[in-house]
Parts: sequence; structure tokens; C-alpha cells
Amino acid sequence: MALAKLEQLSKSVVQGPSLSTGAVPAKDWMDTPAIFKEGNFAYPAKQEKVEYLDSQDGIDFPNARIWSPDEDDWKLPENWQEIILKGLAERLEKFRSLKIFMDCCVRCGACADKCHFFLGTGDPKNMPVLRAELLRSVYRNDFTLAGKLFGKMAGGREMTVGVLKEWFMYSYQCTECRRCSVFCPYGIDTAEITMMLRELLHLVGIGINWILEPASNSNRTGNHMGLQPHTFKDNVDFLAEDVEALTGVKVNHSFNRKGAEVLFITPSADVFAEPGLYTAMGYLALFEQIGLDYTWSTYASEGGNFGLFTNNELMKKLNGKMYAEAKRLGVKYIIGGECGHMWRVVHQYMDTMNGPADFMEVPKSSITGTVFDNAKSSKMIHISEFTADLIKHGKIKLDPSRNANVLPTFHDSCNPARAMGLLDEPRYILDHVVPKWHEMPENTIREQTFCCGSGTGLNTDEIMELRMRGGLPRANAVKHVIEKHGVNMLSTVCAIDRATLTSLMDYWNPGCGVCGLSELVGNALVMDNEKRAMGYGADGTESELPDGLRTML
Amino acid sequence: MDLDLAEAFRNYEDKIVNKWVDYTLSSYKSSVFFKKSPDKFSNPVGGNTREALSALFKLLAKNADPTEFAAPLEQIMRIRSIQEFTASEAAGPVFAVKHITRALFEKDSERKHLISELYDFEFAVDLAALQAFDLYMQCREQLYLVRIKEIKTGTYILTDSRCPSNLLKKDTGTPANFPV
Repeated sequence: MALAKLEQLSKSVVQGPSLSTGAVPAKDWMDTPAIFKEGNFAYPAKQEKVEYLDSQDGIDFPNARIWSPDEDDWKLPENWQEIILKGLAERLEKFRSLKIFMDCCVRCGACADKCHFFLGTGDPKNMPVLRAELLRSVYRNDFTLAGKLFGKMAGGREMTVGVLKEWFMYSYQCTECRRCSVFCPYGIDTAEITMMLRELLHLVGIGINWILEPASNSNRTGNHMGLQPHTFKDNVDFLAEDVEALTGVKVNHSFNRKGAEVLFITPSADVFAEPGLYTAMGYLALFEQIGLDYTWSTYASEGGNFGLFTNNELMKKLNGKMYAEAKRLGVKYIIGGECGHMWRVVHQYMDTMNGPADFMEVPKSSITGTVFDNAKSSKMIHISEFTADLIKHGKIKLDPSRNANVLPTFHDSCNPARAMGLLDEPRYILDHVVPKWHEMPENTIREQTFCCGSGTGLNTDEIMELRMRGGLPRANAVKHVIEKHGVNMLSTVCAIDRATLTSLMDYWNPGCGVCGLSELVGNALVMDNEKRAMGYGADGTESELPDGLRTML
Repeated sequence: MDLDLAEAFRNYEDKIVNKWVDYTLSSYKSSVFFKKSPDKFSNPVGGNTREALSALFKLLAKNADPTEFAAPLEQIMRIRSIQEFTASEAAGPVFAVKHITRALFEKDSERKHLISELYDFEFAVDLAALQAFDLYMQCREQLYLVRIKEIKTGTYILTDSRCPSNLLKKDTGTPANFPV
């Protein structure tokens, strides 16, 4: 009797497609269609943005139009199937890695439970193996003998509108974080499969605005925000004034200066949005203190490269701006700020796309004499490598007690951690700039770090629920150190992280702040001839401002 | 509380919680891993669901003050509120413990008679379920507030508001009354 009631309870709440009554989905994954509804898809790119990008030399974004994922008719070009299959054939020919990734997966399942989107949704198509299968099934059907002969029996699947819709849904429920790749015994880079899916979708005019608008802005004015050179300069100037107001030290920075030793490039969010602003103030204070001969650029005013999330041609073009500017200014090397995917582009694609950058020198710190052989080819080093080296050689004086109100943990940003191996330098810096900090559980940090859930251009507000699901594994680990150690700050080295982890904390762990690592460096930095602004406590005693660079003066 | 009933809850606690967790996790399209892995960090949905329902059952079984239900319920509802569930799908599994408990007692000839004494327990479950609906709404509202906060502080102000350089652009239908 009671059991019958339990079944009835299940039935009475089984209304949507997501609640099944058993462990095994009722239908085969191939027969379960993608259903779009407000909240589970990012808005499509504005027609004018696609048209603008398509009008640029060397990049193609054809079939611009007004369409919406939640309408049945996506207004695809008549020969869309032919375009996709031809595009796939070209890419199999051009990218040897893609061909290998299509063939060598044995479906062992090691990746299946490693994806933050799978862990947050329970949707089997978010298992990396199955997400890749969305493309692989079409590959098998049209490009392998077994597939041509046996079709579905050999795991093949015809390219239909339904399949295309699945591609769109699940290639935009992947942040290309590459956690799954860490566990793949064959080293399949599942992020590159997502990249191919997105490239193919762009061929038929399917893309999202949150990626294409910043990418077109970057192409036009040099940064994601689309802000013009004078605005960029004004904002950095404002931040320099703020540093002076707080430390009493005048900051001498420059823009587009030929002959500078170093070109500094950082995500534009560092210059325009909280809490990145404080990180930028940290850079300004640090460079001033050590007397670095460096320049900002209003042409290469964006470290981020949303081209990575569209296609290889646009990625190459946007990355090329950094190197063109380095060449024009005649700098010796580039220091890159706290950015995530910029480092994936620089470390893994730059050399093939725009290298070798042999007009520059192997980065050598003029302060410590350290040669950064690891960046021999890219000529670009990470601000954390540079700062850790300064600390190691005792070249800067730090007072961790100035960060006494902060008890941080550290979130390894996916790309610096997994794409460039930046694991120990940020931790070494933290050891020196705060009195104490705590690690999150072992299987959620370093190479195994969980994504913020909003990378690869998914940091748009219309998919907030999806972002909260994708960010659950990360937030869950933060919650643990909050409850266990009283952590109150999530520090990181990525601009997208700083923005999106703020929302993630606001939902999952309200009260936990988010900051860039260089902000903590700037707070702890003891500058020559400093005269720090003082505040008065409730009891009237004078003391240093506890909020450091965040103090509004 | 009847001593026999308390003993029966203790005796069946693991079985009831296991079935309850199993039922709750079956609401996900692919739940094998969620049910299998005990590690809360590599399996946040499964781990938190198990932890929360275990704690909640202890409270329900000892007829605790319903205000104590909030913590474990929040642990589970904060997750389910942002997943692809309707309100009834998200909170529905809370009720299941009533049916699971009855079914287990029913099969046990020595404890079958305790079914008639389950009123207080089942009433507590009802109160927990009502709280679960409230938590669902609270989480949804919080989600929207997070979204609004992000819109207000995000790049939108820089790219789509009426800053001087934007005034030069043709009107693309962006909201006119956005405070700048």
C-alpha cells in the first residue's frame, strides 16, 4: 500500500523532462532532444555584431540573422548540413589532434564524473565522454567505414537539426576548463572538441552575444568593453591617483611608450570593474615600488581573448594584437596580469598562430636577474611568477599584518593551473602577504581545480541558474573551508573568476569576498617614503585603514 | 515518544535514510554516480543530499523543534532550487520518507503495529516539507537578486548605458532609464 503511494508521489511530481523515476534514463541519449527554455541558454549574438566580425579581413562569421534558440525554426541556411559536414571534413584534415580525439576514445568513463556541469546538473550529456560523442557520432556516420555501413549500430548518427541543437546546448554547457582531460588516460583534450563544436556552429550563424560582442569590441577598440583609448587611460590614471591617496606615493606609469623594457597587458576588467580595480591598484603600487621600466598599451588593452571561444582565426587575430604592439614599442618582454584564458592562448596556441616572437628577448627580471626560461618561446610571463621571484630574492618588503582582516583560501583558475602549470607561485605569494590562509580539499585544487562554472564566455546573467549549477563543486569546497576555518575571502588569479565567483559566493556562500592575488600583494606592500592614509576607530584611536586598497577615499 | 517506536527508528535509520537518499537522487537524469560516490567534494549533489537527509531524519525521528529542520533542509534545497526542477519536483522528495518508513514497518511483523503511532513523525515531515517550499522560494529570490546585482555592477553600465560615447551610437533599444 505504502509503496504504491510512493510511486504515486513520483508520478505526481514527474512533470518536467528532468525527473525520472529510476537511475537509467527512460530513453537512449541519442533519442532525448535538447529542450530550450528561458534560463538554460545564452542569448544569441546580435546580427550587427556577427556582420561586423564577418566584414573583417581573415575572419568569417557567415549567416548573420535574428534567431532564437527557444523557437523551433533557427532560420538555418538552406544547405546548413552540407556546410557543417564540409567544415568538419576541413577541420579533420587541418587539425591532426581532432582526428585522433575522434578515433582514440575507448569510452572508459574516467572523465564522466569529473565535469562540474555534470556534477551540478546530473545530465548525462554533460559527461565529457558523452558531450564529445555528440560530435563523434556524426564523425562516425559520415567519416568512418563502419559508420557508413552500419550507421546507428556502429554509433553513427545522421547530422540533423536535432543534433545541431544538442551541439549548441552542450558546447555552451562546457567551460573548456579541461579538468576532464587531467583524468583521460589517452590525453584527449575535450575542450578542443567543444572548441570544434563552437567553430562548426559559427559556420551556420549560431553563436552567443556574450562572446561575440566582447570579441568584436576587442577587435575594434582593443578591449572587451569597447572603450576607447582615452577612456582606458583615464581609468588607469584614476586608479593611480587612488593608490597615491592611500599610500602617499605618486605612481609614475606610462602608456604606449616606445623603448620601455616591459609591456604590461591585463584583462580590461582589471581597469573597469570591481573587484578587479583593486588588483590593478596592486600592480601599479608594485611596479612603482620596484621602479619597473614598463608601459601600458591602449591598443593591446585586453588580456582576455574571446576569440578562443569562437574560432581559431579570431583567436589568432586578437592574440596578434599583443605581439604587434610589443614589436611596435620595441619592448624586451611582456608581463601578463591576472587573466585565465589569456594564458591558455599564450602557452598553447600563440607560438603556432603568431610565433615565434623572436623580436623580443627571453624574459629576464631587471630587478632580480632571474631568467624565465619557461617563457623562452612566448616571451610573456605571469605577474605571479614575476612577483614570487621578487619575494624569493627579498626585493620587496611585505607586511602581512596589513591583510589581517582577510583569511583567504586560493582558487586555482583553470587555465593558469592546467594550461600553464602555475600552481606554486600564487601559494608562495600568499604565504608572504597574509598572516594565514587555508587550502580547499585536495581533489578540488591545483590540477584538479573546479571551474567557476562561468568561463568561456558563459559569464552572462541570463544563464545564472546554469552558472550556479556549474559552480556548485567549487562553491561546495569553499563552503567547507568557511565552516572549518572561518575563511572570508576567495583569492584567485583570473578576471572572469573575480567577476563570476562574486556572484557564485553571493548565492552559495554569502559574506565570502573575492579578490585578486595582486590586491593582497598591494595591501601588504611596504613602499619607500609611504605615508599611508589613516583612519579613526570607534574609540577615536588612529590606525591604518583595515580595508587597504578597497578603502573609498 | 513510545519507546518501541524510538527503537524502531534507531533500528531502521540506516535503511530508511538509504532509501530516502536513493529516492531523492533518482530525480536526476543520470544518478548512478551521485548514489555511488561518498566523497562530498567530488560528488557535491550526492554527498550533500546524504548528509542533509541523514541529519534531517534524526531530527524528525526524535520529534525535534521544527526550527532545527532549517539547516539540513537548506543544504539540500539550495541545490535543488537552481536545478531543472519545478517547485514540487524540488521539494517532493521530502515527503517520501513517510512512505518509505511505513513500507519498512509494514514488512516487519514485530513493528507493523507501530504504523498507527506515526502521526507525530508524519506531521513533522509535513512541516519540513512546508519549510522546503519556503526555502525553494527564498533561494529563487536570492538567485534573482544575485542576477540583478550583477547587472547593476557589471559591464552593462559601461557598454549599454548612456555614457557620452554611447550617445553617439544609434539607438539600439537599450533601456533608457538605467541610472548612470
